[in-house]
This record gives sequence, structure tokens and C-alpha cells, in this order.
Amino acid sequence: MAGAVSIFGIRHHGPGSARRLVEALDALQPQVVLIEGPADASDLLPLLGDPAMVPPVALLSYVVADPTRASFAPFAEYSPEYQAACWGVKHGAELRFIDLPAADVLAREADEADAQAEPPDPVTRDPIGTLAMLAGYRDGESWWAHVIEENPHPGPVFTAVADAMAALRAQAADPAPHEAAREAHMRLAIARAAREFDGPIAVVCGAWHVPALAERRPLAADRALLRGRPRVKVCATWAPWTAPRLARASGYGAGVVAPGWCAHLWATHSDANATVTWLARIVAALRAQGHFVSVASVIEAQRLARTLAALRNRPAPGFEELADAVIACLCEGYRTRWDAIAPALLIGSDVGAIPANVPRAPLIEDLQRQLKATRLKPEALERSLSVDLRSASGLARSTLLHRLNVLDVGWGRLLDAGGSRGTFRENWVLCWQPEFAVQLVENLVHGATIAEAATGRLMERMGREPTLDGLAELVRAALVADLDRAVAAGAGVLANRAALTTTCHALLRTLPPMAAIMRYGEARAGTVAHLDGLMPQMVVRAALSLPHDARNLDAAAATELRHALLAADQAIALAQMGQDITARWRQALREVMEDEGTTRLVTGTVARLLYEADALGAGATTDLMARMLSPGTPIAQAAGFFEGFFEAAGPRLIHDATLRQAVDAWLVSLDEDVFMNSLPLFRRVFAAFDRAERRRLLDALFAPAQATRDYTPVPDVAALWPAHQARVLALLDAGGVS
Amino acid sequence: MSEKLRLLAEESYAGELRTLAAEEGGHKPPGWKLSPRQVVTYLMGGVAGDGTLITPKYVGSRALIETAVATLATDRALLLLGMPGTAKSWVSEHLAAAITGDSTLVIQCTAGTDENQIRYGWNYARLLADGPSREALVPTPLMRAMEAGKICRLEELTRMGSDVQDTLITVLSEKMLPIPELNTAIHARRGFNIIATANNRDRGVNELSSALKRRFNVVVLPLPERVDEEIAIIVKRVGEMTATLDLPAPPNVAEEVGRVVSIFRELRGGATEDGKVALKTPSGGLSTAEGIAVLVGGISQATFFNDGKLTPATLAASIIGAVVKDPVQDRVVLGEYLETVLKKKAGFEEYYAALTEMI
Repeated sequence: MAGAVSIFGIRHHGPGSARRLVEALDALQPQVVLIEGPADASDLLPLLGDPAMVPPVALLSYVVADPTRASFAPFAEYSPEYQAACWGVKHGAELRFIDLPAADVLAREADEADAQAEPPDPVTRDPIGTLAMLAGYRDGESWWAHVIEENPHPGPVFTAVADAMAALRAQAADPAPHEAAREAHMRLAIARAAREFDGPIAVVCGAWHVPALAERRPLAADRALLRGRPRVKVCATWAPWTAPRLARASGYGAGVVAPGWCAHLWATHSDANATVTWLARIVAALRAQGHFVSVASVIEAQRLARTLAALRNRPAPGFEELADAVIACLCEGYRTRWDAIAPALLIGSDVGAIPANVPRAPLIEDLQRQLKATRLKPEALERSLSVDLRSASGLARSTLLHRLNVLDVGWGRLLDAGGSRGTFRENWVLCWQPEFAVQLVENLVHGATIAEAATGRLMERMGREPTLDGLAELVRAALVADLDRAVAAGAGVLANRAALTTTCHALLRTLPPMAAIMRYGEARAGTVAHLDGLMPQMVVRAALSLPHDARNLDAAAATELRHALLAADQAIALAQMGQDITARWRQALREVMEDEGTTRLVTGTVARLLYEADALGAGATTDLMARMLSPGTPIAQAAGFFEGFFEAAGPRLIHDATLRQAVDAWLVSLDEDVFMNSLPLFRRVFAAFDRAERRRLLDALFAPAQATRDYTPVPDVAALWPAHQARVLALLDAGGVS
Repeated sequence: MSEKLRLLAEESYAGELRTLAAEEGGHKPPGWKLSPRQVVTYLMGGVAGDGTLITPKYVGSRALIETAVATLATDRALLLLGMPGTAKSWVSEHLAAAITGDSTLVIQCTAGTDENQIRYGWNYARLLADGPSREALVPTPLMRAMEAGKICRLEELTRMGSDVQDTLITVLSEKMLPIPELNTAIHARRGFNIIATANNRDRGVNELSSALKRRFNVVVLPLPERVDEEIAIIVKRVGEMTATLDLPAPPNVAEEVGRVVSIFRELRGGATEDGKVALKTPSGGLSTAEGIAVLVGGISQATFFNDGKLTPATLAASIIGAVVKDPVQDRVVLGEYLETVLKKKAGFEEYYAALTEMI
């Protein structure tokens, strides 16, 4: 006695199909619900009915031996598959996945060098979307809503879909071998369920598959198709998912254009004022952005959306019409204003949650394997670890610890982070806390392995990071954690932001982390090719805007710029950029120095940088100093210059005789009045010298004249030297003997 | 051959309009000669029911034109915003021609436009002789459009003073024009509407009051999206203009247009064409029309001062003039662009040299 089989062709993540499907299931009251999904994960299906399970969630299957090979099957609240599973749990129906087991699919992916499971042909991927495109829609959901939902006889919707698909498939090429195998597997699973159960059977599958599953074929042929396919050991679990990753723009082939719109359609499916609800949300978002939106304009927007829908021959406005109307009526015609709020509305930011009893192992398992590979052991007591990045094992350990840090699992703490001179040694303090395991699994949403989760997490943070230097730090973090994809993405964002930055301050502050990135690039195997060109560009940009940005600063801003300049100059020296870039930088410093409008603290700072780089002669320095500190200059400005030049430069004054003499000469030349006036500022600078430094400075100043005289070699030194050497050696020998 | 220097839209395309009006095109709003869908077809081009080819009047986004037509169909007023040279007036003329068959009800708004030119004026001889009466009123295009149920076009709306702009508020919201002197009012016939155009890049114009702005649906007409479109438009217009000015066209115009358009688009778009380097944008708009002006200026200079040879050096001054609208910021923007992009760009060495020298 075999059960009657009803096949419901749906659109993945289609709220319209979900609603019709629930109605159809209510009418049919099936004993078994078969869903398109990996058959070996069937026992996870009832978990979807758990109240603690909040979609969007994804069914994650991964190869036990290599979790980087994983597949995700996301479910949103409005996914028909999810609604079917919930229906089954609620009504006590048997739930089963019927697609090829993940064990088979993942084995195949490894064989075919990641020829992804996504079908090459858009018709196969989203047949309803294709029909919608043909009808002039941008989103299949609007088409479904208009063509199928508005159908006065909604009863035979699934029959109509099946007919449409049969017609489409008649035109399409034969399914690829993998597709054929999937459909064979589904047919076999349906046949088995029909044998086992007497009651009605509901099959929920992508519309495209309906004609193939309804077809009667000899079971033996299907079995033959599936025979001898490779298999791997896989493990499956639920993972929390996010709304943005349901969007097709995120690279998810079966995704929808606007998950937020789908969620809205699902939430308001019985609401006659759904359009107004959507507009109200847009208005709230616009107002939150500080735009004034009147109620009268909202009414006009709704009228315009309806007229547009009529003009485009649609029964009701879709999100495209609503967007056009909102731009014309509420955004004063400017698309950018809509673009600013569109992602939050169209994509949404929902994050799913999964119950505590769901196995959430993959990241923990991955950690275990990594620990084994790197021969590290989690210990609760603090332990220090020194790794040598030149060795493969040291590099692997450091990479793992850095990746864990990215995931907020602070097992290892890097001592002396970024401050050490050497680039090949890192000192860590390790201390394992039990809660790290929990923190680790929370990252499952970003990926199934530590590397992938770290990549995903960093990329998300990069998107949100507001400051340029923060972004550079994240790129550096990605680099030391050896996450190529995040580095590449970060470099792209960094390049864009650097170009759009309007203040040179931000650019200057970004140079030190950039230099660190370049240095790490040398110590690590990772490539920084795409960043090589960026730093010179940043230097040039900073150099171009520096003269404007150094003018008329208040004390706090000037001090900040001074620190940024010192750090940036050091970074430029460290990064060893080409001659012309350094020259361009020096030229900018010179422009700043010569500009009368420059804040004097900054003038002093750049003068010192130029002097230290031998780009400013001693004479010119003295002249500049005399000019900057001349009696007419307001005392605060003079102090600023003096401070900028000398702060933290005590040793230079002690050891650099030329500079010391220049300053000395200038000081002595001052009239008594002027000297007395300037005394507070001298005090201020020299107060920073410690006792020993002051003493040495005094010694140097008051030492006998010979001590400071320059030594010059005797003309015939070459001839004299052998004789001297012989005498010294003789003395040494004599000493040794006695 | 017509004696007119330029024909009206409804005269030039009378055939197309007749063909479209003759066919069954769906529901027509009151006072409309064509259905909204036919108006979109007339603007965007296509094929009429009887197979007549409709030439495209506007090259660009269909959704924008649909929004514009739907706006007029909801009896809301339409404001076309955009930089100079984005076909605002052209679109407004053709919309009026297609919807009411009459594009002549135009008010050119200037700083000197006063209320009498918007609402109504008086025939003073009549006024003095007979006192205030309907006969002594001199109707404006707006008043005539209201009475006839047609479309009134207001060109460069933001150029007239804010107080004068605000006389439109009652007309737009209550669809009537009070004449307090006669204790009466003109009530607009169905089909009346207003299409205004305004420039969103100019400085020193009179911003619309928010009360007035709220009464318009706004459609911003963008610059050409594709580079080949823009080059084609510029080459065509430069050819026409140099012919009018009796300037001999140098042989290398097309190449230089390509280069100038490339520089303009990179600066305007804020990124290099390969998308690898992001750039700051100058404060000026760098519209297609400015591209045309740069080339015509360059050709003129070449003809009179450079033996007819069009070189980057002859164009450089005009390019700097077009880009540097704010002497401080734009100079930095251009300097950055020269150093980070143009310096290394193959084929632009002479531009780099000429521009660096002159900036």
C-alpha cells in the first residue's frame, strides 16, 4: 500500500511560496514531509521546531578530516523549507531531507577542485527569477507576488508552477551529471517513503526539480546512477546565520535580491496595508538619519508608487517602485540618500540563534587539530612562549595565536606588541580560560574553521571601522594571522578610504601601521604586493595636503600633528621607499617649514626632522632659529618653535657640536631684555632634561676649547701607521709576558 | 523647409505623436493625448503598434522617465534637477509635447522675474479706462495652462527670487489661482500640471523653500553612465558647434575627446577607470557640457594661436579652468590626481606635463 505523493515546487527563500506551501500542507495533512536538503542531516530537522531556534540559521555540513570543505544551507523564516519543517514538527509528521547526502556532495567538490555546487545556468539556479526577469521584474519575489499571489484562483498554484517548469525544462539542456544524480536520489527517497507510509506524502523541492521528480522512471536506473560515487565522512550541525548572507550580493547563488523585503512580505502577508508599513519603515530610517519627512510626502510617495506600478503593468508596487517613489518624493530626487538607508531595509541585519543543545563542534574540532599540528596545549596557568617566525613551526604557532585573538579568544597575549625592534621573534603569554570554548563557537557564524571564521570576522570589522589607522591596524592583524582573503579585502578598503580621506592627519597616523605591515610582509611568507603601491601613494597624498593642514592649529591639534609627524617620518624611513617619494616628503616638510602660516610647534618639528635628515644645514638652522625666536615674535609662538625643535632632543644637543654651537652662539647674541623674556621658554624645554643630561650638556659647553675642536688626520698618516701599529703590538706583547 | 531656426518638439516629431495617439494604448488620464506608457515609449524610443519606429529622445535610465511620467499622472508637479547639460529642458519639452501636444507654455525664470510674469499682469490702458475686469487681465503661460488644462513649463526655477517662487504654492496644492482684485479665482482644468527644471550644481541661486520643494516630486537627471555614450555626445556637439563658429576641426578631435572624457570621468566619478585607485572629486560638476566647452575652447585656441594643431597644451588651460572651481581645495584634488594617476597613465604624458606646468 503506497502513500499518495504531492510535489510542491517552491522558490528557495520565497515568502510567497512559503505562504502557499503552509496552506497546501494544512489542506493535505501529510504523514511525511520530504524536503530538498542533504539526506544524512535528516535527524537535525526536528531541531528547527525548537523555540530557541531563531532563523536565519544554516545547516552546516563539513568534512570531518578537513572542515574547510563545508557547505551551508541557509534557512530564513520565510523559507518554504523552514516553514515545512515547522509544520511537520507541529503536526507530528515525519520529516526527512531527500537530496544527495553531504557525504557525497562534499567528496565530489574535493574531486572537482571546488567546482562549486552552484549550477552554471541561471535558469537552473533560479527558474522563477528567470521567468520574472523575462517579465521585466528585478526580483522573482515581486513577480511571484504579482503573477501567482494575485491569481484569483490560488488553488492550483503548484500545478501552474509545475507546468511552467515542465515547459522551461523542455527547452533546457539535459541536467548536468551532478544534477541528474541529485534528482535520482530524490526520486529514490520519495519511492522509499511511499513504500513505508500509507498516508499522504508532501515533497518540498525547488520548482525546477518538480517535473523530474514527478516523472516515473525505473528505480534500477536511478540506483545505477548513484552507484560507485565517492564518499567522505562528514558531520552536520546548525549554525547561526545572518540576513546579509542570504542576499545574492553576498555571493550566495540561491540567495534573494532583498532579504529585508522578503521578511517584510512574510511578516505582512495578511496585512492589507503592507505597502504603507514598508513606507513607514523607510520614513523612520530617513528621519533617524536627520532628514525631514512630512506625512503629506509619504502619502504622495504611496500614490506615486501605485501609479508607477500601474505604468509598469503590475498589480501592486514592488520594492523597485517603492524605491523610485521614495527617491522622487522623500529624498528630493537624490539616490544617495536612499542608498544610505537601503541596505538596512532591503538586506536587514537579523542574526539567527540556535538552541544550546545543538552540537556546535566544528571550530572546537578545528582547534584540536591545530593544537595537535602546532604541538601546543591549553593550560590554565600562565606560561610564556617565545616563537621564532623564521621556522615553520614557530610561524604556525604565531599564526594560530593571532587568529584566535582575532576571534576574541585571548588565549595568547603578545608581549611588547609592535614595539620590538626585531621582526622575527614574538613573545607570548599563554593562559587558557574555559569560556574561550564558548567564545569560539559563537564565531561559527563567520565560518566553519578558525581561519575562515577569523577571515569573516575581520572582514566584517573592516567594513565597520571608521578610522583609517584603525583599518590599517586590522589589515596588519589580518597579515600576521595569515588571512590572505582578509588582507586583500582590507587593502582594497584601505586604498579607497585613503583616497577619500580629507585630512592629512589621518593619513599620517596610518603610515606607522602601514610601515609595520610592510615589515611584517618581509618577515612572513605572506605577500603584500597589493599594499606596496599604497604606502607611497599615501605619503604623496599626505605630502600634498600637509602644508594646508599645518596652519592655524590650536595647542592640542598641533601637539597631535607633531606626534603624527614624528611617527610618520620614522615610518617613512623604516619602509625604505624610493628616492623620489622620500624627496617629495622632504619637500613637503620644507614647504611647511617655510610657510609663515604654519603653527610654530609644527615648524619646529619639521625643522628638526629636516635637520636630522641632513636636509637642512647648520647655518640655515641657526638662521631659521634666529628668525623664529627673534624679538618681534610673540613669546608663545617662539616657545612653540623651540619646543617643537628641542623636545626630547637632549642627547642631540649634547653630542651634536655644530648644533650646540649654533644654539649657543644665538643665545649669547641675545640682548639681556630679550633673554630675560625668553627665559621661561628655555626653562620649559630644558626642564625635560634629566640631571645627568644637564650635567653632560654643561660639560660639553664648558669643556676646554680643544675638547670640542675637530680632529683632522695628519697628511702622511698612511706612512706613519705601520710604525705606530708595531709599537702598540710591542707594548701589548710586553704586557702579556710580564 | 521651414523658415524657423528650430522646430518645436511637437512639430519635429508630429508623425510619431500622431501614430502613438492613434493606437489603443490603455487608459489616458484626463487631458492627456497619450497614455502614460505611450509617453514613456515616446521618450525612450521603441516601436509603435503599427510598426512605426519611435526614435529615442532621451538616452539613459528608463526608470527615471517612468517616475517622471507617473508623477505627472498623479497630478503632482515634476521638478527635473540636474547639472547643466543633462537634458533637463529637453526632457521637459518632450514630456509636455507628448502629454498635451503643446510645449510652448514656458516661463523662463530669471532673477528679474516678478509675480506678474507668473500669475497675471494688467493691461493698464484697459484698467484705467474700465477698472479691474477679466478683460483687463493679461494672462501668463501659467494661467493659460490652467485654463486650458495643459502643462506649464518653468525653466530654471531656482533662478527667480524665493518670494516669487512661493506664489506657486497655492497653484500647486489647491490647483487654483486667486485673483483678489476681482474677487474670483482661476480653477485649473484637469490635465493641468507643472514641469520645472533647476540646476543643482550652481552656487548663489535661490534655494527652493521646503514648502515648495515638498510640492514637487523630484527626478535628478544624471550624467551619461557609459563612456562611449558621453564621447559620442561630445564629438557630435563639438562638430556642430565648430561648424557654427566656422572653426576648422583638427583631425585628432576624437582622440582628444576620449582623453578629456577619461580625465573628466575619473575625477567626477572619484575613481580611476580600472577602479583600482579612489580619488577625491573636485567641487565643480565636470558635466558633459563642460567637456564640450573645453574642447571647443581648445579648438578655438588651436585655430587662432597654434596653427590649427590641437595639443594637450592648448587644452590644459581649459581643463584646469573646468576642474579648479575652488582655488584651494580643487587645486589639491587636481594635484593629487596628477601625481597619483595621470603621471603613470600611458598616453597621457603630455597632459601630465602640460597640466603640472600650468597648475
